[in-house]
Amino acid sequence: MTMSHAVISCLHANLAACEAVLADIDQQGIDTITCLGDLVGYGPQPNEVIELVRERSIPTCQGCWDEDIIDGLNACECSYPSQLAERRGHRAHHWAAERITEDNKVFLASLPMTLRRDRLLFVHGSPNSQHEYLLPDMSAFAALERVETAGAETLFCGHTHQPYVRELSEGSIRVSVQTNGNHNDSEQAMTLPMRRIINAGSVGEPRHGSTKATYVVHDDDSGAVSVVKWSTTSPKPVKPSLRRDYPRCSPGV
Amino acid sequence: MQNTWLITGPPGCGKTTWIRDSFLKHQGTCAYLRLSGSEQDGLQQGHNAGIDSTWLQDQIPELLDLRTTAGAPRPTAPRLLLIEVQQFQPPTSSGPDGIDPQVLRQLEVFNLRPDRSLHFGLDPELPHEDVLDFKRLESWHRNLQGCVWDPNSLSSFWFELVNGAYGDVYRAKALMNMPDGRSFLCNWMVSQQSSQFLPLEAVEPPAGRPNRTSHLVVQGRALDPAGIESTIDDCLLTDDVLELHQAPLRDRQHALQSNG
Repeated sequence: MTMSHAVISCLHANLAACEAVLADIDQQGIDTITCLGDLVGYGPQPNEVIELVRERSIPTCQGCWDEDIIDGLNACECSYPSQLAERRGHRAHHWAAERITEDNKVFLASLPMTLRRDRLLFVHGSPNSQHEYLLPDMSAFAALERVETAGAETLFCGHTHQPYVRELSEGSIRVSVQTNGNHNDSEQAMTLPMRRIINAGSVGEPRHGSTKATYVVHDDDSGAVSVVKWSTTSPKPVKPSLRRDYPRCSPGV
Repeated sequence: MQNTWLITGPPGCGKTTWIRDSFLKHQGTCAYLRLSGSEQDGLQQGHNAGIDSTWLQDQIPELLDLRTTAGAPRPTAPRLLLIEVQQFQPPTSSGPDGIDPQVLRQLEVFNLRPDRSLHFGLDPELPHEDVLDFKRLESWHRNLQGCVWDPNSLSSFWFELVNGAYGDVYRAKALMNMPDGRSFLCNWMVSQQSSQFLPLEAVEPPAGRPNRTSHLVVQGRALDPAGIESTIDDCLLTDDVLELHQAPLRDRQHALQSNG
């Protein structure tokens, strides 16, 4: 019997998408789910999404939005991909910060930056920061450095909202250490086995060229990984009372 | 000799593309005229904002647009005149008798009488892949003259627009200005897999707001104009931000000229 687990990320207060994705995971008989954070932001139901994650006791690490909301910052400090995203992001922050309950803020504050299971490491952005983007085309050296220095074989991340699986094979790191005034460098090189970065994309705010929510399923035994794109095109409608005071922070809600 | 053809068809069936291809194949002088079609119960016409005419004139600079050149003296008589009309239903009969009376009245103003009338979905020499039978259609448009888009925001907005964030959009067409002076024809039809983003040949210098046709026309059902407007406003550049985009481009152009 194989042991599969699902990884979700960037839920962004989109309750309908979260419910649809979790139902899809349940239907596959997958019991272990890990969440890579960003429960809030953009979408209209931050408290409901936080409470859903709490009810289901899903191990979750802290995302950049989760961190900034509890720190009282008026915007996520990450660079936005466009003027539109920046303006929506600022509005969503103000709106969500006023509405997230104190109890839920305490929960967000309690989330760890990383989760680890054996040689699997789960982070929101990178092992260094919730705000760092591990983009699929970043240099192989930098990517390998992030995985290796965190002591992981497979690094699960989100943040970019674009799912991908990147294999880093035949890597080596050469380190040269030069002490003050001493020009006799000591140099060490090590060859590394294959490392992987798996980005789960986004459940609540996909940006991979389609409106489908994404998550990944990973088989602990074989290492097989699949990116699941799940259509959430017929979500439950947002309550009219919510529509009235909700600023347009995300399309279609 | 002048060939005057009336080309009709429902929204998004490929009228303008077919007309452009016909002009490019034609050896002689070409002229174009876009007329308004009739509205029917529940079927609103897409606003004639000059998008088609601007696009065709960009692609074929010597093209005569009869709407703007009708009163001017013409050095040579047009050889191929194509008249475009959005028309939801095929004509009841072929030939001049089948022409919509409202279109006939407009033709009289220009003293024109088509010698051929072709309808998409009816005449086999026209492509028919994108001919859809619309039952209900709302139309919305916004003049964007002088407006300049943040490019990444335009990409997001267009993606949302054609993926149902603001209602069921069946057809969207626009000319959009970029900060670097380019303009793009953005073209979407529900029957197509993806949108077209076609740059115009004419590029304005990156110095302020361009004074040329820029417009968005959307057709569909249960459209959300307030939502579209709100997002557009978040995508358009202010004067200060536009200058931030354009100043480095001007510097680069000056440097190239100095070195060249």
